[in-house]
Amino acid sequence: MGRPKALLPFDDQPLIAHIVRLLQNFFVDIVAVAAPEQALPQLPVTLVRDEVPFQGPVGGIYYGLKAARGEFCFVTSCDVAFLNIALITKLLSYISDYEVVVPEWEGRLQPLHAVYRRSVMPLLRKQLERGELRPIFLYDKVRTRKVAAEEIRCDDPEGLSFLNMNTPADYEAALKCWNEKSWKFATETASPIFSLPVFVTVELFGVARLLAKTKSISLPLPVEASLADVIAALAEKLPVLVGRVIDSGGAALVNGYACNINGLNFIRSPSAKVNAGDKIFILSADAGG
Amino acid sequence: MYGFHGRFLHVDLSSGQSAWHDLAESRLRAFFGGIGLGTSLLYEHAPPRVDPFGPANPLIFASAPLAGTGLTTTAKFAVVTKSPLTGFIADSLSSSHFALELKSAGLDALIITGRAPAPVYIFVHNESVEIREAGQLRGKSPGETESLIRAELDSPTIRVAAIGKAGENRVRFATISNEGRHAGRGGVGAVMGSKNLKAIALYGDREVPVADARGVKEIADRLRRRSLGSLTDKYRSIGTVANLAVFNRLGTLPTRNFQQSTFDHAEALSGETLTENNFSRRHGCASCTIRCERLFKSGDGEEQRLEYETLFALGPLCGIHDPEIVLRAARLCDHYGLDTISTGGTLAWAMECGEKGLSAEVQKLDLRFGQPDAVLASIAAIAERRGIGALLAEGTRRAAREIGAASLCWAMQVKGLEMPGYEPRSLKTMALGLAVSPRGACHNRSGAYEADFSGEVDRLSADPGRGALVAASEDFAAVLDSLIVCKFLRKCFTDFYGEAAELLSKVTGWNCSSGDLRRAGERIHNLKKLYNVREGWQTRDDWLPERLLSESLPTGVAQGTGLTQNELRQMIQGYYQTRGWDEQGFVPEKKLMDLGLPTDTGSSLKVEGWTNAGDVEV
Repeated sequence: MGRPKALLPFDDQPLIAHIVRLLQNFFVDIVAVAAPEQALPQLPVTLVRDEVPFQGPVGGIYYGLKAARGEFCFVTSCDVAFLNIALITKLLSYISDYEVVVPEWEGRLQPLHAVYRRSVMPLLRKQLERGELRPIFLYDKVRTRKVAAEEIRCDDPEGLSFLNMNTPADYEAALKCWNEKSWKFATETASPIFSLPVFVTVELFGVARLLAKTKSISLPLPVEASLADVIAALAEKLPVLVGRVIDSGGAALVNGYACNINGLNFIRSPSAKVNAGDKIFILSADAGG
Repeated sequence: MYGFHGRFLHVDLSSGQSAWHDLAESRLRAFFGGIGLGTSLLYEHAPPRVDPFGPANPLIFASAPLAGTGLTTTAKFAVVTKSPLTGFIADSLSSSHFALELKSAGLDALIITGRAPAPVYIFVHNESVEIREAGQLRGKSPGETESLIRAELDSPTIRVAAIGKAGENRVRFATISNEGRHAGRGGVGAVMGSKNLKAIALYGDREVPVADARGVKEIADRLRRRSLGSLTDKYRSIGTVANLAVFNRLGTLPTRNFQQSTFDHAEALSGETLTENNFSRRHGCASCTIRCERLFKSGDGEEQRLEYETLFALGPLCGIHDPEIVLRAARLCDHYGLDTISTGGTLAWAMECGEKGLSAEVQKLDLRFGQPDAVLASIAAIAERRGIGALLAEGTRRAAREIGAASLCWAMQVKGLEMPGYEPRSLKTMALGLAVSPRGACHNRSGAYEADFSGEVDRLSADPGRGALVAASEDFAAVLDSLIVCKFLRKCFTDFYGEAAELLSKVTGWNCSSGDLRRAGERIHNLKKLYNVREGWQTRDDWLPERLLSESLPTGVAQGTGLTQNELRQMIQGYYQTRGWDEQGFVPEKKLMDLGLPTDTGSSLKVEGWTNAGDVEV
């Protein structure tokens, strides 16, 4: 390219600012990972620098995950202009059962448009120590959900999400495309803000864990979701819990089970609100031992 | 009389004599059975300030009105004596067939005093009482003792409660065991050992009629159905070991001698992991539909029963994360007859002494957190009082006084009883419950933690209002422990006091109200306090170890949470106020009179309206 890609003018601002502006409508915690000496504009993000330079995408993903606060993160490069919120939402919705969710477009995995659990950090660190700088080495080691092209086309028929800019020609094509479609993106990015799910993690203990055969599950919920919404989503995702842990109506825990939010508050009211990032424990109501 | 035999047996091992005595109905109405009856008999028959290991300290086995009625979870009995660990009341419960046989043998209570010149066991079969030689049983485990006595008496149906080597050697936290169950806390096994009493064997065919058999059956059927529902799912599906993973996540899992409230290796020891990897079979006490007991198989194929308290005490508390080691350590404790909570607590204290360079002997043993071999070796040493084991057999409080320096600060005990697996700094109601319990650091004579886990209070903050919650929980437990109903059934009652009053009325023919039961709970608890006062209780005894009041929790969701002396003091004052006690925690005369309890702590129990059994005849 011959110029810093993050600073390419796009939509009247540096490209990275364009990306951040788009993402900040949906994510409360955004981390930008930059090279040690890389110049960036002022951004409303947590800025971290590569601790060791020239470690490629694995280094970027690792340092980004390390600085993030949630349990999982959507990772993107700074040279894509057409992030598609519907597609990102779809990728996030798959992460509850996986460590990585990565799209595959035109026969190539897209590790820099993927969702990673922070639990993969130790493996990434070992990759860095071994000099394995390609993210795909990770995918064989953890539960990875590959999202096929036909699933992607439902939200992004042309695969614009993966249109990055490696050459001046790519950049010119992207600008042209933006000028043609900017009205559409403006509409699409404005409307999902009200419908994009928030994610909570449900941690299961005791009987619930044994029945579900999993310790935790991430659930997408509507904004302003209540505990009843959590239970309903859990019942849908893990129907094996219905009858034993969740009542047959699917909206409440049966007597004998309790709910705690973030390890601090025991919640009784089904109408209690939950927030994005909450960890919701499902446990026995009886602590006798 | 319905529900009771109306009599107790007194055996004096010094003289070898025994005698039956009547129990007045008024006493039974006031205290029911179990812990209540046992406490009232202790108060009356123990000389004030008696030496716990002295011949005069009575060892009391008390049956209960619901035992033998067929009601689920009621095959239980109480053991009450003066604790050699605390110097105050020791009131332990155990369960299963021995409890049923105690009732069938015609006993509402068995009081043992004196000291046999050589090891003996007592065999009670209906009216007959034999004191038999037990030299051949010396050094045997409780389980081995049970088998040998059955063989000797040529009866497989005889039920036996016995002590192991720890009890024989007066380890101050030795248990009395029957059928793999234990009267575990407070050193009741050491008192039994001090009397040269190896075991008690029972056989009987005495039936106790109930006043309204059909009514009792209806209630029993109702509770049995509820006991098989979701309210007991945890106990039926995993057992109490289910606590470990969730306690860890909630920052309430005492770890490394209460230095932390989370354990990095909790998942390896969790009930869920044990269930997946080591589960062997499920077991239950006699007459129990919940069947909470879990046996886990270790690598050598041996089965071992494991409860949360044992798992926590021999695992995270000692920094041990290998389930194999915990299973082996638990097996050793059962073999020798040791309370697993006090064993783990004492080892954890010693480990910290070793790490701080306070004990050359501990360092020589390599007894440090997470070191499995020394843990296993130390358990045997404690039971046999060998080497450092002689010191550790005294429990943390005495051992800390011996070692000196600051080690009392991390001797995690209350009144001398080692703490159970509920972190007080992140369970503030429980902190108060532990501080004021007459038995010492106890999670059974009150379930104060229930308020913390319910959401009705902020478990991380303290306020004087917790006093009412703790008092209510203690009274509730006193009633449960005196009827006796297992605590794992408690949530199956929709209106506990109402339903329990109805049940007791149908068993005994008395016309009991829920108010009568509430008052009995309060009376029983106050009598325990009164007994402790007589034995020298002082305000300073209701307190928590220094560590809990000076160190904040360093990890987990409760990170940074502590408990100040002032917060604890205020909660204790709130508790005394709720109880109607004075600011120093003594029970005023008016309160005693209101409850029908003796007003002179030096006197024997002479309650107005009672017909006392009189002095024990030997």
